[in-house]
Amino acid sequence: MRHTLKFIFSLSLLFSMFLGYAQDVPEVSKNKDTTVTKKPKTETVKSETAKPAIQETQKDSVVKTDRYGLRVGVDLYKLTRGLYDKDYKGVEFVGDWRLTKTYYLAAELGYEDKTTEDDRLTSSASGSYVKAGFDYNFYQNWLDMENLITIGMRGGFSTFNQELHSYKIYNPNPYWGELPAITTNQKYSGLTAGWLEVGLGLKAQVVKNVFVGFGVQLKLLVMNNEPNNFENLYIPGFNRTYDGSFGVGFNYTVSYFIPIYKKKTMASETAKKEEPKKKK
Amino acid sequence: MKKIISILLLFTFGLSSCEKDDICDANTPTTPRLIITFYDISSPTKTKNVKNLKVIGDEMEEGIVFNESLAVDDSLRYVTSGSTVSIPLKVNDSTSTFKFIYDAFNTNPAAINTDVLKFNYTTQNVYVSRACGFKTVFQLRNVLPIVQTDPDGSVWMTEVDLENPNIESEDETHIKVYF
Repeated sequence: MRHTLKFIFSLSLLFSMFLGYAQDVPEVSKNKDTTVTKKPKTETVKSETAKPAIQETQKDSVVKTDRYGLRVGVDLYKLTRGLYDKDYKGVEFVGDWRLTKTYYLAAELGYEDKTTEDDRLTSSASGSYVKAGFDYNFYQNWLDMENLITIGMRGGFSTFNQELHSYKIYNPNPYWGELPAITTNQKYSGLTAGWLEVGLGLKAQVVKNVFVGFGVQLKLLVMNNEPNNFENLYIPGFNRTYDGSFGVGFNYTVSYFIPIYKKKTMASETAKKEEPKKKK
Repeated sequence: MKKIISILLLFTFGLSSCEKDDICDANTPTTPRLIITFYDISSPTKTKNVKNLKVIGDEMEEGIVFNESLAVDDSLRYVTSGSTVSIPLKVNDSTSTFKFIYDAFNTNPAAINTDVLKFNYTTQNVYVSRACGFKTVFQLRNVLPIVQTDPDGSVWMTEVDLENPNIESEDETHIKVYF
């Protein structure tokens, strides 16, 4: 059952990739239209005297302005999961700051409270976490588009508590009969964990300054302060722990971009002409 | 774009193969049994095989299964003729009592000899893993760890020695019985 669920999840994740891809194309053409309509406007504003001269410079290069600023948002996946999953409560705020043309300083701040019912254990973990690092945007935008496809790295740190609600004794020789689960309400507090993660992400501007994005993360636990006679089964921010020190994560964010300043860059006309061919 | 999709494909399928720790592996050391080894009283360094030994827990009807492969109604399923027996103790109690019936299939009822051993211990629940949960380990008490009684007037276990009071694994002998 669990594996089928995982399969469905992987599939839907895969399809959602195509969705993201499919949405790219119409946006491009839309923006193309808008830029076409914009062009005459800038011409009229800039030049009232020498129209032919400007048209000549536009053939060689186009002045492109990159907007720099702060993007802040929230993970909708964690927020909405609390509505249908009674064992989960969580929130994650995301933010990034554009450093250069392709690099973004990024951070996430979150809180999770998750109860996990395994076959032999019922436990919950709650606590907050912070992740910080950078994103590298390797997507070549056209014109004034500001979409991102990023690969990023983060360092994560969580401080949390665990509570063991009940457990079963594993007895391979139940001569005296099977025992019911033992209820304890053992609390393990002051736990910490640290990890590194590599993430792939996609952010698309759907309305001006509003971005929708999703990402997957592969995590590697580097520091894990475990309780005595128990284990960290779930670490807020890191998610479920496995036998090895790997973990996975997923988020679906909606964020708002606050433009702070602009930088002008030159994009050559020839490069611009090549790109549409690739897309088709 | 194709490159990105292929990377993500690899990524997602890579993730789905991670989860394999849901089932408790049978080789994982979990709740141990008490291991009793039988020795020859005339040459105490040598182990000695018992003859059709049946072990029944107090207030239980069936004996402890020694031959898992035999059918449930096969009487040989519940006897052993080896030199060691593994006894499951009660995990939710501090004493367990067993009847050790020697030569259980003898047609002459007078030849069947029953001795009773009562074990007094403390338990501790130790975390194993997500899949296995906890296990119980036992420690035989310092005072009266084993109490031997004889319901039929003849003792077959001449000497019962405590070898290791900490019952944490099945790899070692906890009690030595000489007969």
